[in-house]
Amino acid sequence: MYLLYFDPGLGAMIIQGIIAAVAGVVLFSKNLMYKIKLFFSLVKKEDDLFDDINIEDTDVDNKTNSDK
Amino acid sequence: MINKEQHSSSFRDPSGYIYIEDNILKRKIHPIYFKQYNKLKNSSFFDKLFKSGLLIKHKEVSVSESEIIIQPDQIPFITYPYEWSFNQYKEAALLTLKLQKFALENEFSLKDASAFNVTFHNGNAIFIDTLSFDFYKENEPWRAYKQFITHFFGPLILAHYHGSEMLKLMGSFMDGIPVKTIASLLPFKTKLNPFLYANIHLLAKFEDKHNDDYKGETKAVGLSKKGQLNIIQSLYNSIKKLELKETSEWGEYYNKTNYTDAAFQEKSKLINTWIRNINAKTVIDVGGNDGTFVRQINTNLTQALVCDIDNNAVDYNYKQLKKNKDSFMLPFVLDVLNPSANIGFNNKERFSFLKRISEFAPDVTLALAVIHHMTLSGNITFEMSANFFASFSDHLVIEFPKQKDSWVQRLLKSKGEFESHFDFYTLENFKSDYLKYFNIVEEQTIHDSERVLFLLKRKNGKT
Repeated sequence: MYLLYFDPGLGAMIIQGIIAAVAGVVLFSKNLMYKIKLFFSLVKKEDDLFDDINIEDTDVDNKTNSDK
Repeated sequence: MINKEQHSSSFRDPSGYIYIEDNILKRKIHPIYFKQYNKLKNSSFFDKLFKSGLLIKHKEVSVSESEIIIQPDQIPFITYPYEWSFNQYKEAALLTLKLQKFALENEFSLKDASAFNVTFHNGNAIFIDTLSFDFYKENEPWRAYKQFITHFFGPLILAHYHGSEMLKLMGSFMDGIPVKTIASLLPFKTKLNPFLYANIHLLAKFEDKHNDDYKGETKAVGLSKKGQLNIIQSLYNSIKKLELKETSEWGEYYNKTNYTDAAFQEKSKLINTWIRNINAKTVIDVGGNDGTFVRQINTNLTQALVCDIDNNAVDYNYKQLKKNKDSFMLPFVLDVLNPSANIGFNNKERFSFLKRISEFAPDVTLALAVIHHMTLSGNITFEMSANFFASFSDHLVIEFPKQKDSWVQRLLKSKGEFESHFDFYTLENFKSDYLKYFNIVEEQTIHDSERVLFLLKRKNGKT
């Protein structure tokens, strides 16, 4: 059972199918563009402030000592 | 506080609540959440998140049939979403999505996505609501999706189009900015972007349409896990790339000052000596800009709160500290003339800046190049500002620019005919009013400038 203590919004629950479809198309086309750019060596390495969504094991090692 | 008295901000989630015992924050878990908690604990889910620094660490204090008590690492100073700079806000949003993806991969799901579940600690955003994870149910859409939009994506996209001041809206809309409001504030062109159209405009329409369905007649629709992961990944990519349109890069402040390099060095040398003498470990800089001055302090500070009214300055500071790994620094937005208030039910859910800072009680407050703005722009009398500064720390390092200082002159000139009203702005009056609350420990005129630096100590009983 979900311990649900706020209204998730019925509309918001229903719409997620549509949003997932849009997201799928967006992700697919971005990925395609990336591969095309990669093929023509147009990808610049960016110095990002934030890393990507996956929790890498390297993160895990790096941060263990950061707590004082 | 009385033992196990439920903390006034912790009442929504029936899984448990936080309370304060002997000045230590603890969390009580109810039997209704035992199954989830044990699974999270035994599957090394918690461990991995602790190690990656994404979830606040805790240790188990006691386990019985009726309750489990855990004690999280204590965070000395909590900041709220409406006090974050743009990139801090971004990091908090990305953290939430990261956790949801990780949760889904481990058959869990975040049951809420409140921005108040995140705060900043040791230079990073950290998730502080340990009980937010629940079992994932096959084919169920993300229940916290709308909350994520109203707490994170909405405010960020508004800030993208209208500036970082939009983030302050979270102080009024504690349960998130209504989707309808977000949609109506966004420019028309956002309707042409399929991603924004779906996540904001269409969402607003759907919410509106199903608002009146009190009987629950509409059938719930399933969503595959892959579909949900797509939503999360696309939100992540989009938020990661968001920038403010106002490109006014901060960081030129110190080129605009009327300081010579020598005066700047002298000032920082003095402050260093004084901070060492009083052995200060914690500090708040109330007009800290991008943290330049706090970075000049060469003693070992355990925590430095660096505040500024300008979101861009705080943001610039935040980016710096991410690069330098200045984990002792905590930048946040503070308008001294209107600090964050107590808000929420009974006005006891989110605490005012003053309540939090007086509990934190920093060893020293830095108020450099602040007093003329408070007095001349804010019409705050010396006595009022002295009273304010005396309310949260024992020592105050304050810089007083005299009337002839070019900044003071500029502020005075802008008053026009009203200028004579500010004749009281003199070093003598400043001293006599501040002496009601403080004793002068040190007083130094900075060479080549119209500025005087003071180290003041609060008088007993003036708290």
